[in-house]
Amino acid sequence: MASKSSLLKVILLGDGGVGKSSLMNRYVTNKFDTQLFHTIGVEFLNKELEVDNHMVTMQIWDTAGQERFRSLRTPFYRGSDCCLLTFSVDDLQSFQNLTNWKKEFIYYADVKDPESFPFVVLGNKVDISERQVSTEEAHGWCRDSGNHPYFETSAKDATNVAAAFEEAVRRVLAIEDRSDQLIHNDTVHLHRKPKSSSSCC
Amino acid sequence: MAAPVTGKVVYDQEGVFIHSSCGKLEDQDSLIPGTLRVVEKDMEVIVDWRPLEETLDSSNILCAVKDSSSVVEWNQSPKERNNGGPEHQNSYEAEWDMINAVSFKKRQFTNGGVQSPINIQSKWSFLFSLTDLKSIKQNKEGMGWSYFVFCLKDDVILPALHFHQGGSELLLECLEKYVVLCESEQDSRILLVDCQNRSLSQSFENLHEEPTDSLLQKFKKDPYTATMVNFSKVTNFLVDTIRGTDPLTHRRPPQEIADFLNDAMPDLKINQQEESGFEVITRIDVGTRPEVHRREPVSTAEWESNMDSLGRIRNVDHLKHIIFKGGLCHALRKEAWKYLLGYFPWDSTREERSQLQKRKADEYFRMKLQWKSVSEEQEKRNSRLRDYRSLIEKDVNRTDRTNKFYEGQDNPGLILLHDILMTYCMYDFDLGYVQGMSDLLSPVLYVMENEVDAFWCFVSYMDEMHQNFEEQMQGMKTQLVQLSTLLRLLDSSFCSYLESQDSGYLYFCFRWLLIRFKREFSFHDILRVWEVMWTDLPCQNFHLLICCAILESEKKKIMDGGFGFNEILKHINELSMKLDVNDVLCKAEAISLQMMKCKDLPPAVCEVLGLTDNTSAPACDLAEDYVVRKHYQNSTPPNNPVPALPPNGTRGNSSLKRLPNSVHTPTSAW
Repeated sequence: MASKSSLLKVILLGDGGVGKSSLMNRYVTNKFDTQLFHTIGVEFLNKELEVDNHMVTMQIWDTAGQERFRSLRTPFYRGSDCCLLTFSVDDLQSFQNLTNWKKEFIYYADVKDPESFPFVVLGNKVDISERQVSTEEAHGWCRDSGNHPYFETSAKDATNVAAAFEEAVRRVLAIEDRSDQLIHNDTVHLHRKPKSSSSCC
Repeated sequence: MAAPVTGKVVYDQEGVFIHSSCGKLEDQDSLIPGTLRVVEKDMEVIVDWRPLEETLDSSNILCAVKDSSSVVEWNQSPKERNNGGPEHQNSYEAEWDMINAVSFKKRQFTNGGVQSPINIQSKWSFLFSLTDLKSIKQNKEGMGWSYFVFCLKDDVILPALHFHQGGSELLLECLEKYVVLCESEQDSRILLVDCQNRSLSQSFENLHEEPTDSLLQKFKKDPYTATMVNFSKVTNFLVDTIRGTDPLTHRRPPQEIADFLNDAMPDLKINQQEESGFEVITRIDVGTRPEVHRREPVSTAEWESNMDSLGRIRNVDHLKHIIFKGGLCHALRKEAWKYLLGYFPWDSTREERSQLQKRKADEYFRMKLQWKSVSEEQEKRNSRLRDYRSLIEKDVNRTDRTNKFYEGQDNPGLILLHDILMTYCMYDFDLGYVQGMSDLLSPVLYVMENEVDAFWCFVSYMDEMHQNFEEQMQGMKTQLVQLSTLLRLLDSSFCSYLESQDSGYLYFCFRWLLIRFKREFSFHDILRVWEVMWTDLPCQNFHLLICCAILESEKKKIMDGGFGFNEILKHINELSMKLDVNDVLCKAEAISLQMMKCKDLPPAVCEVLGLTDNTSAPACDLAEDYVVRKHYQNSTPPNNPVPALPPNGTRGNSSLKRLPNSVHTPTSAW
């Protein structure tokens, strides 16, 4: 089963300007563009990777962060396997807004069990020396909000970017393994099995 | 009985299954086993699939009817049919015929009407003549068995046939005795008949999920929506079947996202409700498309030759026309854009303009001072201003940074961009700053090279674009609906395809419309696109025809590739910077000429394009509103207002005869 490639939908959320698109581009193309435009609308990129012997296609969704575009952004939350909550360590406001982003995601993604849904928190722009959010504060929030894993990243110099995305995959796979041990239910299965006679159309 | 095709059976395979979702109704088994035969009869070769039980009752056999453009299948049980009587059934047929969307018609069989438990299964029967076959889609390897999907020349897609007991290769060998099959260049899974490289279009059939009666009621009320909704439902079902093995397209139901986008933008239903009746659905021949050439950009000499001694522009219509046809040479932009955007009245004298600029400079700096004089303490208590400022600072650093005017650190261009956007927040605090506005300002500032002029030109541009950025984004909703109206006229099969992929609301055009293609063309080219659009020629909403032109060029790739919801979005996003500005403008203009020549344009299309015919009232709210907004910047109403659209006869081009007879002037609204 490990040879089967699974599709994993991951969505990057966070205030405008925290570096969502840069993180995605760094991870998928390993490039950093200082002249990148801010995102209008919704975009996504695919990335194939292998994590713990699982072949995975990660579909990374990137959205416009401004409040005004909420109604056009939120429909794309549906079906996400993991949410990457992103802030910038040089922007306190973006850190304080994490709670709102998490709420918005849970509400619109229609997450059945928010307690166990995998969130990963990214404190981006650690290459900048003037920080407004300390590592401890960020760890504190992650701990209090449901023990989310926390990564301090820099899309600019590639620090921890791959590690953060790979952690997202591991979290999803871990949940998948747990639910695999349960009786089959209507959860979406990560490992696509060859078509059986039960359903096709 | 059974009415099997008589003739020479050249292929006969049992264990060919249709996987049906009907099973969820009563019968849990969703597999319908059947037999596939190829029969030589007279001069024809017939491909015939029927369920095993079909021998008991073939009354529901379906066959694709020639001359049909898409498919409707009735899910009518024999009992219902008996109740309704034959006339009833015929009237249904007639109604469907009117929408040119016919296909699976029931054959009349003498023994029809026997109630049978296998009715649900037997409705899947089909046969077709090999001459009607357009393509065969094969599955990828690794499923354990093969399946084929037949697509007929009228774009009917038949249910996938799963060869549980093998025999698919034999079938291909058999068919190749009669037709040439070759792989599609776009998709190796698709075998095209006769190497006709035509697309596997996905229009489709089947209303099996809904009882006929309720559907017909809906159809009578609103035939258009009822039809399209059900088409797309069924198409989804089939497309899912076709793509069953592709994890990238299958797993996440985009339908959900589409539904939510619809909820988010309730005006974006598949089509406007007022378009009931049959007119919309009937295919309209929009005629041939004329060839269009562009001219060279308007030169400074040409511009000046149209100016009188007091500096008033004469022959405004002519000037607009040549700007529409060729754009402006760059040196002229700084001056001409002020007129095009409505900052300068065309008939103003040099003296008047200089007075205007003085007044406007005062006004600008008064507003600039307002935000400049807000102390840090004040700003702490003004979260909206703080948020506007914060986002403007971020976005200014992410707007056209490769352009010389904005590149590097501490470039004065960046400060101007920032200051004008902040001042705009003071000009219109309710709107404030919304992402996308920096994209609209950047080229204007680049051309103006002047803070005050750039601000007021930007204000004019924003008047036009305001609704796009408002809380409810009404402008976006309206434009997406209007675009869909145009696209349906130009290419209903593409529309149906997009709907089948839950993309009928055209969300993927969002960026195009929000910031008028700013991110789609290079900086240099967007200057051209915008000045052409600002002439308001050759009709209202020309930018929507630009959308149609681009979409038309991408249609083949999208449909041949069988792109789904995500892939369409990705493909359109990735067109950025790959479009040829002249191609696009020529095509959009050609479409406009084609439409203006067309005698049978649906009223909805006329409304979008601001075209009225001689008989109906020429007043068009949109056009009028537009002119007023364009001019309300000027503190005094112009004495001799400029028409929004050229009156009849200003050009010798007969194709423009649909333009309004009466001229809308701003005075009517003063």
